[in-house]
Amino acid sequence: MNPSYIQLLLELLPQIALVVTAFALLAVDFALLRQRDPTPRFRTLGRITVFGLAVAGAMLFFQLGQVQAGGAFVGPLRTVVLDPLTVFFQIVIVVVTIITVFISMAYPFTTHVSEYYAVLIFGALGMNFLIASEELIAIFVSLELLSVCLYILTAFHKGMLRSAEGGLKYFVFGALSSAFMLFGLAWTYGLTGDTTLAGIGQAATELAKHGLHGNGAMLGVALLFTLVGFGFKIAAAPFHQWAPDAYEGSPTPATAFIATGSKIASFFILVKVLFIGFAGAHGSAAWGGFNSGWIAVAATLAAITLVVGNTAAIVQRNVKRLLAYSAIAHAGYILTGLVAANALGAASVFFYIIVYAFTNLGAFGVVAAISARVGGDDFKDFTGIYKRAPGLTFLMLLFILSLAGVPPLGGFFGKFYLFTAALSADPHNLGLFWLVALGIAMSAVSLYYYLVLLKTMYVSDPVAETSAATDRIAAPPFLNFALLFSLAVVLWTGIAPQQLLGWIERFL
Amino acid sequence: MTTLAHFQLLASMLFAVGLFGAVTRRNAIVVLLSIEIMFNAANLSLVAFWRYGPHPEQLSGVVFAIFGITIAAAEAAVGLALVIVIYRYYKSIEVDKMRSLKG
Repeated sequence: MNPSYIQLLLELLPQIALVVTAFALLAVDFALLRQRDPTPRFRTLGRITVFGLAVAGAMLFFQLGQVQAGGAFVGPLRTVVLDPLTVFFQIVIVVVTIITVFISMAYPFTTHVSEYYAVLIFGALGMNFLIASEELIAIFVSLELLSVCLYILTAFHKGMLRSAEGGLKYFVFGALSSAFMLFGLAWTYGLTGDTTLAGIGQAATELAKHGLHGNGAMLGVALLFTLVGFGFKIAAAPFHQWAPDAYEGSPTPATAFIATGSKIASFFILVKVLFIGFAGAHGSAAWGGFNSGWIAVAATLAAITLVVGNTAAIVQRNVKRLLAYSAIAHAGYILTGLVAANALGAASVFFYIIVYAFTNLGAFGVVAAISARVGGDDFKDFTGIYKRAPGLTFLMLLFILSLAGVPPLGGFFGKFYLFTAALSADPHNLGLFWLVALGIAMSAVSLYYYLVLLKTMYVSDPVAETSAATDRIAAPPFLNFALLFSLAVVLWTGIAPQQLLGWIERFL
Repeated sequence: MTTLAHFQLLASMLFAVGLFGAVTRRNAIVVLLSIEIMFNAANLSLVAFWRYGPHPEQLSGVVFAIFGITIAAAEAAVGLALVIVIYRYYKSIEVDKMRSLKG
């Protein structure tokens, strides 16, 4: 029954292309470019990286047509499952990585250029495998590949204390969460006797029938530990403390990658683990009808995350830190859609992570372009920046409004679908209405801090110490392309949201 | 007679010891050490579940443990490198002295 390993290698050609690109980068850099200035090296090697990623993306696009026509490919032990949805999301990951590379080319911050791009590609590789796997060992290994790459990227700005400190904090919290997750997965394996999600799902349904006794209770503990691990990865409160430090400390392109790519992959696998693996142990989070299971845990996390993320963002005076707390708040919105626990909930979560990823890529791209010139990313550096960078500031306005959920931008429909899904889970009693109401109230709070940022950039006069420079800030052409592409996705999902949602629902 | 429950009790205790160390100690190296103990508690638990499980002829449990050990080693390498970078700035590896990021 097992497909041959030759076939497995053929199906994994896009990922092999990524690995080859990473090693080719290292070889070219060490052999030819070592003595040059960092700025041209960043551009040359960036072009090679984009080329390799584009090749992988083209292969994935071809594969998408194949799996749609010929059915899904299932590797040995379900370690690699390629169906239309996973291949589609692998394409999204590759596109996100390409945009990250474009942002990096405008932000030359290190002399270790090829190592930086190689680690970026290995991170994308981890995301690719994370999305495709339906087996605990493969999930854990690819999640760790991704995480270790992100720790390195965070600490890559070697001349900066904040980068190293952010990296160490990210690492300590991340390793702690990995230990929790491994312990939870060990218990899941022990109680269900299987490592594939489907097998775990069957055994867990059997165990959950007996309620909270004996092995059923232990399965609850395993689920809780696993969810703590995932809570760290998606930066849900109360496991979010690493996020602001890591976001602020990282070089801005790496922040963009952490905020978008890893969020997509982590949420995708979280949906799979919960919907397939723990399908039987769902419980309930209806008002007055709490019942133990993952829905109750996820709903509690969602409520705490919404409140903590949105209220803590109000007092922030650093743009990247503000976006970090906004990312925490958005994890709360996405968890709200997740607790719907039906197909619409999954579709709305997938829709939202795509919109959210491109919105944030755009926002961090603008931050990178401006802070590369003004030399900082505090509010005081961005005060009155409208006069120096009218185009970039206008793009930032659109991205921020999409994050705030203002129609007709993608963020509005993303939130709309998430809340609709949460309400549709129980259409007669509206059991999740309390969570949706909290989400809508917190969106109003978020509008405040987003508008404070926009006011700083547009209305306020530049403070005396930074007003000396009056030259215009314009992004290089490739960054403009990346920003406009992100903007196109945000507008497209805002004007014709049913198109992307239709694709996702067809792939599901 | 050692049973599965004994092993799991030991694993849980090791995990708790590691967690206690990770949240109370201030020295970054000791924090890393404590996290290693947590990883190894999970590995012990995996191997015990595999050995006493219904299908010891399927190797997934022990393979999982081997991957767990490998990943813990990779994480330790990155973690120690980060500790060295931090030491260059602060001349200290006390985690509560790192205060350049806050809010």
